[in-house]
Amino acid sequence: MWIIECKNLHAAYDRRDLGIEEKEAVKGVSFTVESGQNICILGSNGSGKTTLLRAITGMVPYSGEVLLDGQPLQKLRREKIAQKVAVMTQLSQVYFSYSVEETVMMGRYIYQEGLLGRPTKEDCEVVAESLEAVGLKDLAKRQLNTLSGGELQRAFLARTLAQQTPVLILDEPTNHLDLKVQAELSEYLREWSQKPGHTLIGVFHDIPLALALADELILMKQGQILAKDGKETILQEDLLTQAYDFNVLNYIQTMTQPAEQFLKKQ
Amino acid sequence: MKTTTKAGVVLALSLGVLVACMGIGSVNIPIPDMLTIIKAKITAATIPTNVTPSYVSILWDIRMPRAITAFMVGALLSVSGVIMQSLLQNPLASSYTLGVSSGAALGVALVVVLNITIPVVGFFLLPLAGFIFGLGTVLLVIAVARRLDTSLKNQTIILMGMVFSLFVNAVLTMVSAMFSQHIQRLTLWQMGSFSGRRWTHAGLLAVVALAGIVLVMGDHRELDLMSFGEEQSMAVGVDTKQTKNRLLLLASFLTGAAVCFTGIIGFVDLTIPHVTRRIFGSKHRLVLPMSAVLGGGFLAFADLLSRTVLSPREIPVGAVTALVGAPFFLYLYFVGRKGDASCG
Repeated sequence: MWIIECKNLHAAYDRRDLGIEEKEAVKGVSFTVESGQNICILGSNGSGKTTLLRAITGMVPYSGEVLLDGQPLQKLRREKIAQKVAVMTQLSQVYFSYSVEETVMMGRYIYQEGLLGRPTKEDCEVVAESLEAVGLKDLAKRQLNTLSGGELQRAFLARTLAQQTPVLILDEPTNHLDLKVQAELSEYLREWSQKPGHTLIGVFHDIPLALALADELILMKQGQILAKDGKETILQEDLLTQAYDFNVLNYIQTMTQPAEQFLKKQ
Repeated sequence: MKTTTKAGVVLALSLGVLVACMGIGSVNIPIPDMLTIIKAKITAATIPTNVTPSYVSILWDIRMPRAITAFMVGALLSVSGVIMQSLLQNPLASSYTLGVSSGAALGVALVVVLNITIPVVGFFLLPLAGFIFGLGTVLLVIAVARRLDTSLKNQTIILMGMVFSLFVNAVLTMVSAMFSQHIQRLTLWQMGSFSGRRWTHAGLLAVVALAGIVLVMGDHRELDLMSFGEEQSMAVGVDTKQTKNRLLLLASFLTGAAVCFTGIIGFVDLTIPHVTRRIFGSKHRLVLPMSAVLGGGFLAFADLLSRTVLSPREIPVGAVTALVGAPFFLYLYFVGRKGDASCG
């Protein structure tokens, strides 16, 4: 069963308020994601990865068709979308500070009702689990503006997890994170994504990480899908070189060589 | 300190200010007499003979409605300030930024210089004109901003608000210059005052304030989320467009109601939300009601100063709030920020 289906999707990157001219960042993209599948999107800067993620979650206006679990996205209320898809966008500025726990509790927004919307016992349990998953349990009471970039990133990821959706969409989730946290987090994401019915869609700059998580890769260039296929098919020198305009595999090899040699000597 | 203790202290302080506002002035009324008069008035009993008769009208007809009006206006301005700052993720935003005050001032000026009278509306004509023009200006700002930027981003709204405010102010200056015989009246209105406010004002404002706060409280979680930015709140399921429209309108309505009865009083809507967040953290479930109480107390206190410091002369209350508020805001924003956990 397809959880996400896009046909001939066009979407623009619009930051006219920042003086950046509107430009079409996604140009006629069609693809499908099966329920339970894990997909990583690769491509160079400005290839339209982030805009594509925003379009398939209805966060930017688009033309073409997006179906979420068989229903047209444009007809779904935000609340319904947020019950199916949790999105972690690239880190934004924190203007007013909340505690880590309060922030993660906001992921429970769709489950809370009534004028005061007090958290239920279940809400609190889910928040505690999410904090545990990202390793922030001890910092639950800390204020956001006292956290490091990596801790902040994890707090937002925990909020995303607290939404308890079958689909998780992540835009460069391991940015700002040190190696230890990166390792823990990717292990957690891998475990999460292996569970039945869980679908992970992510944009990654880190190709090894993408390989560890993905069943399929999407390679983007200039707003279009260059290729979407299994890892073996995508990881070919000419295809990657075409996408990134330079020899990626060669680069990865050169970069890992010194470390490998060093490890051999040990 | 525990949150409930803090809330208790804030409530007690505000109540104390209200009592001081009723007791202190050209004649000081002792608290026991105040209680006797209020009790008698509420139960419609006759006033005991041991109470000086002049106290009754001073307290009941002059000071109480004035103090309550000031309190309600302070509450309205503060709550609307909280909404605007969170909604636009800008600690310097307020309904004034969006042109409510300049629009209202222009409306009042037009009524005065064109000598318009509408019998049915009577003495509510000036407030009504101020309200309609104030709200109209904000609606225009939002409409034009939306034309330029369909997703209605915050920078666009704030810029449009500033442009319109400046433009409307220029029109106002032209009107004042052309009808210079009215300049004094216009200037006085723009300075803001609670002098001569009656129970009609106090009652109406109290109803608006209470209803407004209850309505806004219905959106307290949305406000928490919106203060992280639109993308973030969309991601967890908030219908941001609808929420933003609703709250912008509501905030403008609250400011409009406050401005139209009292003229322009600055710095309350800017400073009080910051102070409240400092004390109570950022959660709107607490920030909204507490900023209302704190703002009410602050403005009632400012009014007390305005009529007692240079007594028998009155200083415009807007001048008092700015004189106290501006340095205090500077302190909060730049000095007090260091290492603080609950603000900025």
